[in-house]
Amino acid sequence: MSMDDKVNLSVATNCCRGARALGAFFLVVGASLMFFSAPARGQAAPSVVQSDVKLVIGGDTIKNNSVGTLSVVGSSLQFASAKKKMEVEASSILDISTNEDSRQNITGAAHFATMAIPYGGGRVLALFSHKVDVLTTEFKDANGGYHGAVFVLPQGQAAPFKKQLVGMGAKASVPLAEPAPANK
Amino acid sequence: MRYHTRAVTVIFPLVVTCALILMVSSVWGQTSSGESKSAQKFSASSIQIEPTDAGDVPVPAEFRMAVYENLITQIEKTGKFQHVYRSGDKDAASAPDLVTLHTTAKSFTKGSQKKREVTTVSGSTSLILAVHITDHAGQTLVDRDVQGKVRFLGENLRATYDFSKKVANIVRESF
Repeated sequence: MSMDDKVNLSVATNCCRGARALGAFFLVVGASLMFFSAPARGQAAPSVVQSDVKLVIGGDTIKNNSVGTLSVVGSSLQFASAKKKMEVEASSILDISTNEDSRQNITGAAHFATMAIPYGGGRVLALFSHKVDVLTTEFKDANGGYHGAVFVLPQGQAAPFKKQLVGMGAKASVPLAEPAPANK
Repeated sequence: MRYHTRAVTVIFPLVVTCALILMVSSVWGQTSSGESKSAQKFSASSIQIEPTDAGDVPVPAEFRMAVYENLITQIEKTGKFQHVYRSGDKDAASAPDLVTLHTTAKSFTKGSQKKREVTTVSGSTSLILAVHITDHAGQTLVDRDVQGKVRFLGENLRATYDFSKKVANIVRESF
């Protein structure tokens, strides 16, 4: 083997080493990107989401009767109105309960306008109402202060929130109702 | 014509006199009862609100929570206390002259907004709660039964707002 062949061989091995190092570099960068992006995506994607939820009372900085989106994000219950957001950690929930109620179809200023309808027409309109679910949570803040929040959701939408939050460590004095077995 | 003028000259002053007597007596009655109510005033710089004890009365959770949250808001609005603490707040332990507000359910009737608006006379929601305010030593300062109701317009939970407004008025009278 001549001197030139030796030089060529070392150049070739060096080339191989460089390609391997480059491959390893891309592998590490790719893996780290995958590793860091996966939990972030998991946190951002809410598991249960419901829009058009009314926060009746109990949103400290959010006005009573605000309408927004209720969701379970990560391990907490989150309510976001157009301007503000409140978050309650599932582990800090002392009790969570669901109930049924009904609400008038015509509310607000339109409701007052119906009172002006002659011959009791407004009263007839009051007959139109829809069923809703009421979700009540009792929780403690970081200072130990006791809070309560009442949400009104479309019918049948409160139970998934309760189920999800109880699974994450929220307490419930009334256990989740088991679905009735289907009759064949 | 003569009878008519006589009737006017005799009956009209009688009616006016009776009306005046009624007005004076009602005003006197109001001031005297107001004096008796506001005779004893207490002083405290902070108050802690405890959640409603439902006891044996089946009060739904949303009503208990609405009473508690409305009480905090309405008592803050009175401006009688420097601090209004929630139940369990760690900072309340260091408050020197803390008084505590307890509410215990006595009766609850859940009405229907639809019935109220259609019939006007039925479907009212009503809740009666015993209100106790105790001092640091546990001595009772205020002990009253207060009713909250919604009779004509509004959702059922509005009864809790009515109740809290009445409790806030008691606090204004007592502190």
